[in-house]
Amino acid sequence: MRHAALATGAAVVVGWPWAAPRYFVFLASLIAINAIVAIGLNLLSGYTNQLSFGHAGFLAIGAYAAAILTIRAPALPVPAALLLAGLVTAAVGLALGVPCLRLEGLYLAMATLAFGFVVVEAILNLDWLTRGNDGLRVPAARLGPWTLATDTARYYLVVTVAALLIVAAVNITRTRTGRALLAIRESEIAAQASGINLAAYKTLAFVVSAFYTGVAGGLFALVVGFLSPDSFDVFLSVDFVAMIIVGGLGSILGSVVGAALITTLNDSLAGFQNYRPLIFGAILIASMLFMPGGIARALGTIVRPARAAAPPEPPRQGEDR
Amino acid sequence: MISRASFVLLLALALSALPAAAQQGVSDTEIVIGGSNSFSGPLAFTGDQITKFGVDLYFRVVNDAGGIHGRKVRTVYYDDGYRPQDAVANTKKLVEQDRVFAIIIPQGSPPVVATLDYLEENKVPMLFPYQSSPVTRGKRWVLQGMTLSDRSSKMMIDYLAGQRKIKRFAALYQDDEYGKSFLTAFEKDLARFGLKLAAAESVKRGVTDVSAQVAKLQAAKPEVTFLVLVPGPGAQALKERQKIGWTDTIMVSTGPLTDERYLALAGDAAEGVEGLSLWPDPVTSDLPGVKLYREHMLRYHPNNEVNRYSIAGYFAAMLFTEGAKRAGRNLTRESLMTALESIKGYASGILPPITIGPDHETQKQGFWVRVEKGHFKPMTDWLKSE
Repeated sequence: MRHAALATGAAVVVGWPWAAPRYFVFLASLIAINAIVAIGLNLLSGYTNQLSFGHAGFLAIGAYAAAILTIRAPALPVPAALLLAGLVTAAVGLALGVPCLRLEGLYLAMATLAFGFVVVEAILNLDWLTRGNDGLRVPAARLGPWTLATDTARYYLVVTVAALLIVAAVNITRTRTGRALLAIRESEIAAQASGINLAAYKTLAFVVSAFYTGVAGGLFALVVGFLSPDSFDVFLSVDFVAMIIVGGLGSILGSVVGAALITTLNDSLAGFQNYRPLIFGAILIASMLFMPGGIARALGTIVRPARAAAPPEPPRQGEDR
Repeated sequence: MISRASFVLLLALALSALPAAAQQGVSDTEIVIGGSNSFSGPLAFTGDQITKFGVDLYFRVVNDAGGIHGRKVRTVYYDDGYRPQDAVANTKKLVEQDRVFAIIIPQGSPPVVATLDYLEENKVPMLFPYQSSPVTRGKRWVLQGMTLSDRSSKMMIDYLAGQRKIKRFAALYQDDEYGKSFLTAFEKDLARFGLKLAAAESVKRGVTDVSAQVAKLQAAKPEVTFLVLVPGPGAQALKERQKIGWTDTIMVSTGPLTDERYLALAGDAAEGVEGLSLWPDPVTSDLPGVKLYREHMLRYHPNNEVNRYSIAGYFAAMLFTEGAKRAGRNLTRESLMTALESIKGYASGILPPITIGPDHETQKQGFWVRVEKGHFKPMTDWLKSE
């Protein structure tokens, strides 16, 4: 059953560019990129309960890092550029994570919110590197003998990276690390009492989350082809938070579903963005009221009614909800 | 499952087979054009005015009179809120999903630059972008709208340094493509007169407090201070100057800034300010085209004030219509571009006769204005930039 679902999903993803109109190939790339960010954010917020409203900042760092690498070192293969973008962002995540250790809840949200603004200001002020407000045109990336110049080529790159990162995330959540993060979410004191090094694991969550978002940023640069500080405003960070709330906190599948839903919704509302905050707000409130576990848990309720009838419980080992 | 997959496949095949039959966006009864613009964010007011009250106003008049060679024009817009990635997504959607014939009057340098390569590659005309940086120059499928910054600069410096023999200049500019493209052009044009900018201060986009910059500029004692800003900080600079009692300089606004909004925001601090105007006064001008524009606005949008933004959109639609009419019943992207390139001495009744040559620039002129009793009073005839 599970294998059949996975195989069908994989077949749809691989066949998508041949079946769907061209614009939807581009849209699917955006969904996959947002899904990577959502997974990264979910590892931090959903699993470890560290709220972040600054992920647009991480995305910007990854995007600019990849773009500048591609421009300055055209011979660099795409995977290396993406990896470096992720590592640079992870380093920034480390630098942000350490001072944020002492912050909780609202204060952490405020600090990360401020981080998002700082990144945009930094991009503006480092204009010798980033071209500031003028924006940066990203050349087509190279992968061995190929130039990734079409939507389809970029789509396959994006979904390959996304698949690798999804597998990695599922594995992280199933190991000791994942259980430690969940324990921190449930109760920091209890986690500490069980011998979990709070500081180390919280910092790790920040670093991993930043790495995911940085890689997604690199893909964003390649798919969109043009970067400017205007791209990474606070509303983008809020969109990411909306993705994991609607999709399901503490769920990899939920992150992907949430990313798909919010991205598609954003796209279909492009004609009347004045109503966007209203519609998004309504969806967020409704999802918190009627499906606090997000779509992922709501789906679980339908598929496995017997188990979901039990009171809410922390996800157990080896369980991906 | 299999039948659904094959259905999707068939549908995709059917869709991909369609465009070969006719020009995308042109049917027997309709021409579909569109654009990504700002309907939220910092330029939302401008975006609303140039599209819904400008472009659409003119097309309503055209459609009510029977359309272009029997085809009605329909427009589709999406909001990018000045964000480049949304402009890219919107433009792809317009071209690939809505299958528009051409893109009309997209706004702002970052969103326009972000979509430039894509439209060139796909041979989709980008018509009259509403931005003044020369990045759009030299493109096969782009016809520039707003007067480019280097042409504006040439007119301004030729008039001030050439005719009025002014020697000392300074500039307060927005720190982005818009501001910097003007700054470069000013320096180049001043050099022709053996002059240099005495001082230049930058303002970050979105900042409204410009007091420090104004104080520094005052210390440089320029005879003329250029304002290369947007209405908010532009008006703030005028108020700041009034506050500190700096009277021995003439503040001069660039083409994109010289508008009613800036004037209204500055209030009495704008008195005596000069500038380059790219459009005749939409409120008072007696030019036949401007009168007609006011009549149309009154007929279709009686509650919307006339302004330079809607007249720019109105004019863009007028040029498109002229091009599409010349291209004839067999309208394709190639025939539209050829027709537009052939326009010579076209009398719009709004701007001086328009000639679009191989340089693809539609507007190359402006005239000098001075604010008297809250209105822009023309000081010169149309200035030349060639």
